[in-house]
Formats: sequence, C-alpha cells, structure tokens
Amino acid sequence: MLESEYQEHNRFFLNMGPQHPSTHGVLLIVLEMEGEYVLDPQPVLGFIHRMHEKMGESRPCQNFMPNTARMDYVCALPYNHGYVSLIERKAEIEVPKRAEYIRVITSELNRIASHLLWLGAYLLDLGAFTPILYGFDDREHILDILESITGSRLTYCYYRFGGVYQDIDDTFIAATRAFVKRLRKRYSIYEKLVTKNIIFIKRTENVGIVSPDMALRYGMTGPNLRGSGIAYDVRKNEPYSVYPEFDFEIPVGEQGDCLDRYMVRVKEIEQSLRIIEQALDRLPDGPIRAKVPKNIKLTPGDCNFAVEAARGELSYYLVGDGTSTPYRLKVRVPSYSNLSCLPELGRGILLPDLVSILGSFDLVIPEIDR
Amino acid sequence: MGEENKRSQITPDLDAYAAHLKSESCQPVIEQGREYGEGPLLRMKLADTIMKLCQANSLWPMTFGIACCAIEMMGTGMARFDISRYGSEVFRPSPRQSDLMIVAGTVNKKLAPVLLTLYEQMPSPKWVIALGNCAISGGPFKVKENYNIIEGADKLIPVDVYVPGCPPRPEGLIEGILKVQEKITGIRHPIPQNRHPKSPLKKVKGLRVK
Amino acid sequence: MVKKPKDYKEDFLHQGFDANRTDYSQRGYHLEVALNVNQVRKFAQTAYDLGFYIVFVAGLHVRPDEGQDKENSGLEVVYQFARYDQLYRIKARVSAPKSLELPTISDIYQGADWHERETRDLYGVVFDGHPNMKPLLLAEEDPDFHPLLKEEEKLKFLAEVSWPSAVPEVAKKEAEPETGR
Repeated sequence: MLESEYQEHNRFFLNMGPQHPSTHGVLLIVLEMEGEYVLDPQPVLGFIHRMHEKMGESRPCQNFMPNTARMDYVCALPYNHGYVSLIERKAEIEVPKRAEYIRVITSELNRIASHLLWLGAYLLDLGAFTPILYGFDDREHILDILESITGSRLTYCYYRFGGVYQDIDDTFIAATRAFVKRLRKRYSIYEKLVTKNIIFIKRTENVGIVSPDMALRYGMTGPNLRGSGIAYDVRKNEPYSVYPEFDFEIPVGEQGDCLDRYMVRVKEIEQSLRIIEQALDRLPDGPIRAKVPKNIKLTPGDCNFAVEAARGELSYYLVGDGTSTPYRLKVRVPSYSNLSCLPELGRGILLPDLVSILGSFDLVIPEIDR
Repeated sequence: MGEENKRSQITPDLDAYAAHLKSESCQPVIEQGREYGEGPLLRMKLADTIMKLCQANSLWPMTFGIACCAIEMMGTGMARFDISRYGSEVFRPSPRQSDLMIVAGTVNKKLAPVLLTLYEQMPSPKWVIALGNCAISGGPFKVKENYNIIEGADKLIPVDVYVPGCPPRPEGLIEGILKVQEKITGIRHPIPQNRHPKSPLKKVKGLRVK
Repeated sequence: MVKKPKDYKEDFLHQGFDANRTDYSQRGYHLEVALNVNQVRKFAQTAYDLGFYIVFVAGLHVRPDEGQDKENSGLEVVYQFARYDQLYRIKARVSAPKSLELPTISDIYQGADWHERETRDLYGVVFDGHPNMKPLLLAEEDPDFHPLLKEEEKLKFLAEVSWPSAVPEVAKKEAEPETGR
C-alpha cells in the first residue's frame, strides 16, 4: 500500500515545448513522468498550422508555389518538385531533358543541405556544440551555389510547370564540382568528431528501436524506415524524373535504433554526391522550359504524385474540377507519420532518450502542421 | 448542410482575439513605459549612458524560432555571420535570462497565448525584433481565407524593430540588431565592430557573392 | 531481389470489394475501390494482411446528389495505401452518412489515428471508436469550426470532380459540367 502511494507521489506532468531549445519547431509534448522515466508522451500539434491546404483550394494552381517551399523550408526543392510534377502529370506536360537534370541536381544539393542541418541540430540536442558549426559551414557553400541561380537562400520557388525558371551556367557547374570535392574531404572530420565518439555511440545505440511491423502500421517512410531494414525509397521504387538513369544505392540499417538512422543519413549524403556527379557529367543541352499555356485547366478527376523528400515519402493528392483552381489539394508529409509513433515508442523510456529519439526522427514541425 | 456553412458566425475574429489577449495581460507593461518597466527611483545621466551602452552591447536573444526565419536566425549565430561579435554571445532558451525577443515566424491563434506568456516572463528592460514578413503583418498568409493567423506580432506585443524579408538574409537580422542598439543608445555602432568577412566562394570566378 | 510484380486486384475482388484497375501514368495509383460504410474495417484488415502501409486519410466535400441528400452528407473520405516492396497504390473512397460517423481503423493501422483526428478537425467527420477525438491542428476552444468545408456556391457534384469513365453508381443523373467557375 505504502509503495504504491509513494509511486503516485512521484508522478507529474511536464510540458516539453512549445518553445524549447531544440530546433525542430513549435511542438508541445505533454509528458507524464515518473521520476526520470516517461510514462506517456503525447504530442500536441497545431502551433504553426498555416492553412496551406485551404490556400491550395482558393487560388489558381500557379499561385500555390510559394506555399510548397514554406511547408518544409529546410529541404524546399523536393516539395517544389512534387507539386510541379503533379500538375505536369495532370495536364500532361512534357518536361525537357535539361530541365529534368537541373531539377535532380538542385534537389540533391538541397537534400545534402538538409542532412547537414539535421546532423548539426541533432548533435546540438545531445549537447555537442561543435558539429553544428561545421555542418552550417558546409551548408553555406550549398546556399551560395543555389542562391546564384534561384535567388533565395532558403525558401526556393525555382521550378515552374514545364521546367525551371532560369538556366544554370558554367560558374554553377564549376562551383558544384568544387563543392563535391570539398565535402568528400570533410567526411573524415565528421567521422572522427561524431561517428567514432564514444559518448555519441552510447547515447544512440539501442535507443528507440523501431520494428518493421511498427513502421508499417504507422506508415513511416524515409531514413527512419530504412534504419529498420526496409529498403524503400521512392526514387527507386516509384521512379520519377530522370532518376532511373543514375546509379546509386539505398543505404539500409539493421536494427532500427538511433545510430542506424544516423548512419543511413550520413551514407545518403555520399549517394547524393554520386548522383550530382553523374548528372553533371551527362548534362544535355536544350531548352529549360516547355511551352505551357498561361492558365492551366485541371481536368476533372484526381491525381497523385509521390517524391522522396529528405524526410521520407511526400505525396500530393489533387482533385481537379475543370478550372485552374484545384478542388482539393492534400499534402501527405513524411514527418506526420514519423512523429505519430511517438506515443508507442516513447513509453517507459528515460527523458534524455526521448530527446535522442526526437532528434533522430528529423522532424520539421511546420510541415506536420501544414 | 446549409446551417453548417454559415461561416461568418463561426470564423474566429482574429483581431478581436488578439485585442482580448493584449488587453487582459499586457496593459500594465505598456502603460508604465516601454523600456524600463516601473522606472528607477533615481536617474543620473552618466549612469544612464553607461547602462545603456552596456545593455546595447550585450543583448541576449531568446530563441523563439517558430518557422522558416528560425533557420536564418540560427545561420546568423553560426560561424559565417556570427552574431556574437555584436554582443549576442548566447541564445538563451529561458525568457528569464534574456532581454531581446526575436519573433521569427508566423504567430498562430494557438501560439498567441504562448507568445504573451513568454513576453511577460522576460524581465524589463526588454526589446522585440519582428523578423520576417509573417511577424510584421502575417506575410504570405495574410489572405482572404485566413482563419488562423494573427496578422503581425505587433497586435500582441509592442515591437521595436521590423526586419522585412521572406526570410530576411542574416545580414538583415544583424542590421536589425544594430538598429536596436541605435534605439537604445542613440548611436549606431556603440563600440566599433568587426567587418564582415569575404565569402569563401569568392575564389570561383564570376560567382556573384559579397 | 527482383520479384515479379503482382496485381492485387484479385485479392480485393475476392473479399467482395468494388475494385477497379486504373491507369497509373494518368492518375498515380493502380487500384480504385469504392467502399460502403460497413466495409471500411474489413478493407483495412485486408490491406494490413496483404502488407500495405497507410499513406493518408483525407476528406473531400462535394455536393450531395439530388434525391440522395437524405442519406449522403456530401462528405467523402479518401484512404490511400501503398507497398514497401513493390510499386502499387490503392485509393479507396467512402461516403460519410448523414450522421457523419464512420468506423475507425486506428486499431488496425495506428498511423490512421492522427489522420482521422485531422479529418475531424477540418471536415467534421467523426470516427466511431477512436480513442481520442480531440482537435489536433486547430485550437481546443473551437471544436465545431471546420475550415475546409466549402461554401454553398462553390460545391460541385462528385461526378464533376471525377474522371469521366469512373462515374460512381450512386450518381443516377447525368454529369452536367457547370462551366464558367
């Protein structure tokens, strides 16, 4: 009797967020704690709900482009890519080859930038301040390269229906090749500083193990799923754009703990570099934008398009009604399904382990809240 | 179904909500004077000047990064743009230990009470920078069908400096901090600062960087 | 590692669902299923047994057909499932009845938990048996505010927003596209 009373007194509720020093965004997790153990984490969303789907239904499809970049701002170009490819599939627009290659190169550069930011932010959550400085330094190189053709540093709206907005030139190609060479030399720094660090390994090994069945029930995709051993990547499984022409691998983990998810993302950076090199070698000449009518009429019916964003499978679902305004636009974001497994995964773990799991999921909250 | 579509009755009136939040909680702080809260009992000009110089050169921001502008705020704190040469050495997550609140992102109806609570928890003197178009006026989300976004952080809390952009460049945020320093002391660059370094990509011929 | 791609249409027809094969390059999914309210749980169980993962659960607001608006509320719910090992996407659609209640699938697919809460927030469709039907994205103080419901003049019939060859059986009158929108 006395012991259960003692246990009752040790229980309390703790609010983690919505303003907390991790950089995931405004997420509130209500934790029912007993001492240092988390009994039941319940995420509360909606602090950055910016009504993107409502805006998608209220304006012509061309005007939705800035919204796509603001959903996931860290890795905005795959979001652009998904949306323009969706409209191109619906309106049956053929994209010139050079534009497809430029799209792939810029998307992969953005994916590397996103993974570098994630690496820095994850280590910052775990308490290490140095890797984020190195990660941001490498990322600034990418931002300079992309700024020279798109004009923005973060929220890009570079793709248009039928191609891209501006052509790339020799300085872009020279700068990208120089960057690829530079980043390959920097791997040893990250390895020595992070991957072989005993503190990091102790905090991430055997923590937050996601089983393949759990991933299926929650619909998880992306590096979180690949860490559990399932080799599912939309670029290989459901190829779009010119990805079938490139030779790259899908890194897979074994156990599904935080260390596996980390290793999958680090290896993905190398695979993205391979894709960029191959694309630069084979870049064809030609027009960068197809002739597209000013007002695209979306035929009645629904259409779906899936791309691989840095966080997983991103799906756009459009219902057209004959005008140029979509009747319904649904965006299925990867972090939504990835985060929804937290109540089941985080039962009975230590609070620092919860921080480690959240960081390894690579969440961007504005895309969850759309 | 017709009854449920009476949108004018159920669409939340966001300006009224913001005014309601502002009236209940913020009134004491605004009435008694912006910068010094209740005001000191004794004021001496030399002491004031020295205090303001010290405050301006040591503005510690609170991390209230909400959305996209938060990444540019982080980028400003990193090695390339380095906000700590202007005095903001550390970004404090706790409002009790900071004196500059950088509202970086869109303020939501659900987030408005959180913003007010954090503002009230900050001790005076305190300053606010509204970073990005969303914090200034709602930005790209100030649309006809808006049902959720408070159009501007200044509907809730008094703002000192507005930094436009979507998102603004890190240089913009640094300019904003310099403007706050100018507002406090009356002089720009109270203590001479370092120059901005050249970009590492300058070596690539023809690439347009500073 | 290359398995022969399998067509799952037969597995679903076998269980009694109204499944049709669609053109993937036109629509982005392979199989289209029209469900009844009481077939939803059986469908989810079949998909789980066959190894599909849940992609999303979304709502859609259309004008209920004439004469059917006693039973139909005009709200549709769209489910999408896909596979990890092979490219195969399924889209299932169900009409919510007048009481706006549908059975939940969150005990079979826990990921549908949040999707259903969001659909309730944005459209008002309530899922029976869901453990926690509280607002997810919107503020707790307005549980009755459903932003994505369309206004009366902007509603269209389901036939006007569907592909011409797949007009569902429910729409008995001919689809007359209203131009000039």
